[in-house]
Amino acid sequence: MGDDVSTVATTVLRRPVAAAFAVLAALMPVTWPAVTEASPACAAESGPHAALVIDTGAGVRSFCVALDATTVSGIHLIELAGAQGHLSYGFGSGGQAVCRLAGVGPQGDDCFADYPQYWGYWHGDGHGGWTWSSSGAASARVGDGALDGWVWGSGDSGASHPKPPPTAIDDVCVPEATPATSPSPSRATHAAAVPSAGARSSASKASSSPSDPGTNRSAKPSNDGIGRASAAGTPTAGALAAAPGPPPASAGPGPGLLVALALGAALAGGGWLRIRTSRRRRSIG
Amino acid sequence: MDRRPVHPMAWIVWATSAGFVAFVTTDPVYLLLLWAVSWFVYAGHRVDAEHARSFRLFLTGAMVAVALRTALVFFGTVSAANTTFSFLEGLRLGTILVIFGTFNAVTDPFGLVRMAPRHFHEPALAAALALSIAPRTVAGVGRVRDAQRMRGIRIHGARALPALAVPVLERGMEEAHTLAESMDARGHGAGRRSRYRPQPWTGAAILIAVPAIAAAATFLAASVGGWAVLHPQTSPIVWPEADPLLLAGIGLLAVPGVVGRPER
Repeated sequence: MGDDVSTVATTVLRRPVAAAFAVLAALMPVTWPAVTEASPACAAESGPHAALVIDTGAGVRSFCVALDATTVSGIHLIELAGAQGHLSYGFGSGGQAVCRLAGVGPQGDDCFADYPQYWGYWHGDGHGGWTWSSSGAASARVGDGALDGWVWGSGDSGASHPKPPPTAIDDVCVPEATPATSPSPSRATHAAAVPSAGARSSASKASSSPSDPGTNRSAKPSNDGIGRASAAGTPTAGALAAAPGPPPASAGPGPGLLVALALGAALAGGGWLRIRTSRRRRSIG
Repeated sequence: MDRRPVHPMAWIVWATSAGFVAFVTTDPVYLLLLWAVSWFVYAGHRVDAEHARSFRLFLTGAMVAVALRTALVFFGTVSAANTTFSFLEGLRLGTILVIFGTFNAVTDPFGLVRMAPRHFHEPALAAALALSIAPRTVAGVGRVRDAQRMRGIRIHGARALPALAVPVLERGMEEAHTLAESMDARGHGAGRRSRYRPQPWTGAAILIAVPAIAAAATFLAASVGGWAVLHPQTSPIVWPEADPLLLAGIGLLAVPGVVGRPER
């Protein structure tokens, strides 16, 4: 075995492929700290949040939900909204399907008991638009800054099922006390002018924001139409003083991607070299 | 370097670990790297041209799988988010196919039969036959085409199918028959196993199996612990992330590409 390893080592050093590997291995520690240090910092500032919009047909409630992982399933997002914002819900099909939200929908395990009326599942594009979800809520992934919408109505596809009202992520999870971004000042004054139930002083929250993101941007149900949903969401929307701008994930390709690209190129090129040399050897011999 | 063939169990461990990694993630960075890793390992261990054809078949199959899974989005709402989601699901399926293609190309399926406990010889034989159907059919097609070409027969397109299918099927029957007879003649499954060709765990086999297990464990930890994004969100679409620890794990899966290559 020891002999094996030493011969492996000498073989390794002889090959151009392995040389590429060695270079990559040397590069790894350089990029590593940059990557690992960046992500906890972002997490400490805000933590991932997603918006959940529930349209019962009679009224719209929206929740800003703090996620307990970087991505959660659509089902878990509802559970989190239930825990954080007092949303009542009921699942069917062994916890895979959504039967009942905010007191609307069938009670049992069969979520299509009231068919053609059922809960349609939508994903928001972040700027007000909605697309019909191609996957079930149990397999859909919801990450930071995502919007999930549920509408009680009929229609078998996104073409005929009613859509949630146009909602942007900032309507529900409002970045407050961010002097750098333009919409914030007007919202902040609005919040001061119209304090709704459960609204605490935004100034006090702003001061405590960096340490405790969970309480700063907790779930806020707003029991009125979408026109007022943004306003009602505003006062309790936690201070995002430390995290202005869009979520960090959408900023662009990170340094990890470059390392991955180099690794992939080394592997693909190495394999190609191997095949070429073995072919040449065969044609000579 | 040790030129004995690598223990088949090491390849099973490698393929299972790589397949597990592909199973737990839909991050295109990791999945595409797994394609590169499979290609690299295959390039280092492919034995002959027939296996090359089998790998190419699986590669084609994987691409078709990705395209079909992505095309499924046309049955629902077509949007960038939905298409990306479908594509990533298809890419995961395709990755598993490519890994299986590499596994098929680098190891002898009949070597696996020898490892089965005596009472499970028959199911193991059936499994080995099923595993080797694709590479043997591809090899058969290649040989029939070569033979036809040598006789100056050049048929293209759909008309070539019957001319190709009949000899291939005939060959397959013959091969299965020969195999069954030879195994029967050697008393396969009836008595004690032969010790004339022992298959030791060489250093290379350990260098293939242990890093693969480590890679699978890294992804399992990420999946359970949730300290890295394994399923990038698709609505709205964001850049996928590449965790350095998980990249290192995928690098571990490429170790077989540099160790234990068979003599040519």
